[in-house]
Amino acid sequence: MAWFAARKVLQTLMVLLIVSVASFSLLKLAPGDPVQLMLGSEYSPEAHASLMAQLGLDRPVAEQYLRWLGGFLVGDWGTSFISKAPIFQYAFMEALPVTLTLAASALALAVLIGVPLGVLSATRKDTGWDAAVATLTLTGTSFPSFYLGILLIWIFGVKLALFPTLGFVAPWNDLWGGIVHMTLPAITLSTYFLAMIVRLTRANLIEALEQPYIAAARARGEPRWRVVWVHGLRNVMLPLVTILGLQLGALLQGAVLTETVFSLPGVGQMMTSAVLNREYGVVQAGVMMTACLFVLTNLAVDLAYPYLDPRLRPR
Amino acid sequence: MVDHKAILTERVLGGLNRRDLMKGLGAGAIIAAGAGLSTRAKAAGGEIRLAWVDHIDTLDPHFTGFLGAVKVHNNIYNGLLKVEYDGERVSFVPDLAETWDVLDEKVHVFKLKPNVKFHDGTPCDAEAVKWSVERVWKGEPKSPHAWKFKALEKVEVVDPLTVRLIFSRPYAFLPVALTGSTGRAGTIVSPTAVQKHGANFGRNPVGTGPFKFVSWRENDSIVLEKNADYFEPGLPKLDKVTILIMKEASAAIAAVMSGQVDGMSDSPVQFIPQLKANPNLQVLGEIEGNYVYIAMNCKKGPFADINLRRAVAFALNREQIIRQAFFGQGIPAYTPISPPMTDFYDKNIAESGRGQRFDLAKAKEHRAKSETKGVIEPIFVVTEEGTYGTRLAQTVLPMLAQIDIKPKLQLVERANWVSRRNSGDFDMFDFNWWADLDPDETLFPEFRTGQAWNYPGWSNARFDACVDEAQIVLDVEKRKALYNEACDIIMDEAPIAITSHMPVFKIFAKKVKGFKYIPVDSLNLHTVSLA
Repeated sequence: MAWFAARKVLQTLMVLLIVSVASFSLLKLAPGDPVQLMLGSEYSPEAHASLMAQLGLDRPVAEQYLRWLGGFLVGDWGTSFISKAPIFQYAFMEALPVTLTLAASALALAVLIGVPLGVLSATRKDTGWDAAVATLTLTGTSFPSFYLGILLIWIFGVKLALFPTLGFVAPWNDLWGGIVHMTLPAITLSTYFLAMIVRLTRANLIEALEQPYIAAARARGEPRWRVVWVHGLRNVMLPLVTILGLQLGALLQGAVLTETVFSLPGVGQMMTSAVLNREYGVVQAGVMMTACLFVLTNLAVDLAYPYLDPRLRPR
Repeated sequence: MVDHKAILTERVLGGLNRRDLMKGLGAGAIIAAGAGLSTRAKAAGGEIRLAWVDHIDTLDPHFTGFLGAVKVHNNIYNGLLKVEYDGERVSFVPDLAETWDVLDEKVHVFKLKPNVKFHDGTPCDAEAVKWSVERVWKGEPKSPHAWKFKALEKVEVVDPLTVRLIFSRPYAFLPVALTGSTGRAGTIVSPTAVQKHGANFGRNPVGTGPFKFVSWRENDSIVLEKNADYFEPGLPKLDKVTILIMKEASAAIAAVMSGQVDGMSDSPVQFIPQLKANPNLQVLGEIEGNYVYIAMNCKKGPFADINLRRAVAFALNREQIIRQAFFGQGIPAYTPISPPMTDFYDKNIAESGRGQRFDLAKAKEHRAKSETKGVIEPIFVVTEEGTYGTRLAQTVLPMLAQIDIKPKLQLVERANWVSRRNSGDFDMFDFNWWADLDPDETLFPEFRTGQAWNYPGWSNARFDACVDEAQIVLDVEKRKALYNEACDIIMDEAPIAITSHMPVFKIFAKKVKGFKYIPVDSLNLHTVSLA
């Protein structure tokens, strides 16, 4: 068992290493360098050469990578090239919590709305309710998130002035402020998952409701809500958790657009501006954090199975 | 900022009061925004919140390359000189200096204001000024602004409040170089703070300005607070400045229209009509010291042929470009000299016959004289530009098609574009130079043979002689004659086809009072207050 765990950890570390090499080389292969951008209107070949040397960008790429890796492993993530932002503080302490809050709120919203709607669709299969839910959620999913975001800003931010449309307030500092600031972004990001969750819940629940144990439960005279929400839904949880775990990538992609539209200083915004400005250190930090997030999520999903399905529990 | 918590609570509770709810939902933007504004808690000086849509690279003025950052610097630092504008004329007046005397044409003496202190409490005296100037001039690491002090020979401390700059030759550009704004080289920083923070000074800026630096959260915000010891009596009026870094202009527009922020540092031209129509906003902006152009590669490819370049210069319908690409914002440019260079700009240039202008017949004439016959397809490298996107490149395509030039647009992201521009890997590209106040910075680095920004690779001996001489001639009329000649040469040989001078906008809520507009894309909050 210990050997198995060790192998799993080793595999994970290899994956992370490969990811870091790949992202570093990809960015280095992209045309343009950070110094030309930094110098802006003050560009001259001399200034360029001097700044490249100052930043160590004149060294061989392999050396630059190893320097970065060495620093990264001991927690010295360096500073961004020109604004000298301490990268650990920026990426891990500031940007990551924003994105995690956004992702968690969107996911929570999607589950809280999507599962009941799925149940509604399944229990009233092929009725007007079913069609209405399908139409509604598909419409939501079909909106590109940047467009839906701007639409929400226009209606609820500008016209009705009900919600703020910019910035992040940490809910752990100011719960109400955090909720108000996160409402529109979370709605925007959740629509993509909403339809998926509804369809998944509906399909699996319909299947589950045809199983003999449901009939048995009914025969025992259990109330209908208990049959559906306890016996039926329990069997929907497994595929739902699997899919949500796998969709983390899509969630982070969606977060990039949502963060930009709502001016949230999260990982998405950090990564786009870092890639455009060729801030190698910041990009690496972002990639590594995201990769770790993936690995950890998959681990969490694996660990959740035994709780959701007793048959998977070790005897 | 709008107190959304209060509004939401009010709405939720007020849901019982039907009439209020109806009013709130039905009346739309004006009432809602107005209600939002009135709920803001008011302190004596108050806090201004501004959406910053342009790039801030560093708060170290000696190392910045971006105007978006310089706009912030001006509120933290002072220069030896500053730019003033009375609605007619741009002038350069002492800022940290009390007096500025020119002994002969090469020696400048500055008497400093007494008792000026940096935000860290250290005195801003002659030693500090000398240290700051030398940091730009010959410091390590090398400042990208060092070229502005190339002619500097010596900096002398005469007494604790007097400093003397001695140059090897007369230097006409000096007044601009010494301002804390567009010049950047004359911005005075705290020597103690630079020594303490080293390379991280740009994140811990210490100056003498009206506002002190408090914090900078990457991609999020920069906060400044009032410097109670500021040397200009009665200023600043605000207690706090919050700069919200917003990459997405449309998000900033929504924020300013809904009253969540009190202003915007700039705006893409397509939003201007909408912003001007909003009764809660004031839109300030005049034509500034800039020009927009299409550059052609004079070294290789089809545009090495002067006739083809001339054909392009004549083929562009400037009025139509301004209408279609810039949404009516801007005026046609005939030469690179722009209106804020009040001593040099010819107000009647449109009628003078000088410079480049639209004339299709002449364009066709020059096209016929060019070596390449038939349709050519040069490479036009384009990137998303802040204020007008890719619209200029798109707008000129049909105009160029009339003279059998059908450019292939290559849309690339900025880093790639900059690298291709700097290395001459293009036939054409479109670009602009921003916030210039003197013809020297508009012509010398951009077009003199071998200079860093001469991307088209153009060269003309007579032009070089003119701009060289104009640097050391201080007599305005003589300089003007030299620059007119230089402009005539460059417009005729057309390494660029110039299109327009642009207004640069600042957007404020109506309650923002006392902003002094200066046409160098600055956003000085010294005199600003909230009504």
